[in-house]
Amino acid sequence: MSLEILSCRNLKKQFVENQVLQGIDLQINKGESLAIIGASGSGKSTLLRCLNFLEIPSSGEVRLRGKLIGSRQNGQVVYQERDLIPIRAKIGMVFQHFNLFPHMTVLQNVMEGPRTVLKLPKSEYESRAISYLEKVSIPEKRNAYPSELSGGQQQRVAIARALAMEPEIMLFDEATSALDPELVGEVLDVILKLMEEGLTCVLVTHELGFAYSAAQRVLFMHNGVVLEEGSAYDVLVEPQQPRTIEFLRGHSRFQLPASKNSQ
Amino acid sequence: MGYVWEFGVVFNQLDLLLAGLLNTLKITGGALLFGIPLGLLAAILRLSTYKWLRVSVGVLIEFFRTTPPIVQLFWFFFALPMLSGIEMDPFRASLVTFSIQSSAFFAEVFRGGIVSIERGQWEAARAIGMNYLESMRRVILPQAVKRMIPAFLERVIELMKTTTLVATVSYADLLYQANNIAQSTYRPLEVFTVAAGLYFIVLFPTSLLVKRIERQLAKTGEGTVH
Repeated sequence: MSLEILSCRNLKKQFVENQVLQGIDLQINKGESLAIIGASGSGKSTLLRCLNFLEIPSSGEVRLRGKLIGSRQNGQVVYQERDLIPIRAKIGMVFQHFNLFPHMTVLQNVMEGPRTVLKLPKSEYESRAISYLEKVSIPEKRNAYPSELSGGQQQRVAIARALAMEPEIMLFDEATSALDPELVGEVLDVILKLMEEGLTCVLVTHELGFAYSAAQRVLFMHNGVVLEEGSAYDVLVEPQQPRTIEFLRGHSRFQLPASKNSQ
Repeated sequence: MGYVWEFGVVFNQLDLLLAGLLNTLKITGGALLFGIPLGLLAAILRLSTYKWLRVSVGVLIEFFRTTPPIVQLFWFFFALPMLSGIEMDPFRASLVTFSIQSSAFFAEVFRGGIVSIERGQWEAARAIGMNYLESMRRVILPQAVKRMIPAFLERVIELMKTTTLVATVSYADLLYQANNIAQSTYRPLEVFTVAAGLYFIVLFPTSLLVKRIERQLAKTGEGTVH
């Protein structure tokens, strides 16, 4: 029996009059890599953002290692900011637009969490930050500012910043969508390495080739529901749902054999 | 036309003018000392998620931004002691008035700087587990302050010129001294010209500083507020 890290049940999110998530059930186990695909507006990013409470779910429940996040009041789960802060510290998040802190050097960006949040001593947060910069293969840029880096380098620093918190799970929200095509590879390489090392990863992605070769499980979302879920092969190569088939056909450049060999 | 400028009598009393300048700087400095933290607090409260707090602080800020500072000065000097029994002297009334009045303007400068920081910065700070204060202190303010500087210094220049109003409650600032000297020497043109020159000597470098900072920020691609 594999160990459950993060799960949600009947998760719903409503913006003003727009029901973005219509009841999502999901379980992510330790060491698992899960890719969430779907058209834009399908709710996949919102799902990810609800899992670390950058968006507060409208209803349903989220559990970290089986423990309910928030507190139950009259059958509804309510969230207090002070309860969510330690949860976010355990869930790493990588954004589409990197969101590095522009006034800090690369090293300072990566040290910031261990320093300010974990309140580690200087010797510890510094060596920890350096080791994660080495992990994303960018230690030589430690004194550069984000504006001096390429998009791919910035995203790798953002990954190191999230890793430095030593999270239980990493969420990647379209981590390569804002990158020039030639820079996508270096970021995917880092993500792949993390997955191979057994870090639990959830990625929302448009890189179907990468999802196929790297993710153990793929989830197809449409209009706020999970339409299809299974192994990468089942969902991407032999999809059952007409919507999934249509979506995959829409990605005309999607060629499975080529993407598999190119890794 | 036939006017003969006679600055000698003014320069004889330069020490009085300089004492006035010192008092002007005291009020300006004091207003900054209290106005900046008060303004920052007001800015943060105005950005609160609690609507009642946001609205009431907003009303207060707008009130002090839109009523004439001379009236505010009279309230604090004449009305407040009558209504509350708090003792006021010209210095205290001036200091209180300009601390509050400038904090209302600073609040808007600070708020503008804070909201100009992209939402992604807040999210990145939150995502590594920072709370509101940590995000503000470590991530948002350091970036926002840079963008606030030009608008802020602009307000400082305005503040120092507006403090001339304290002369109306007999606080011996630069303008008050100039007025006295003008009356005793019958040389108002010379006296006020020299007084203006003193304001210029202090404020012109400040103004140059604003220009320089603006140019630098433009170079690094940081927009300025307002």
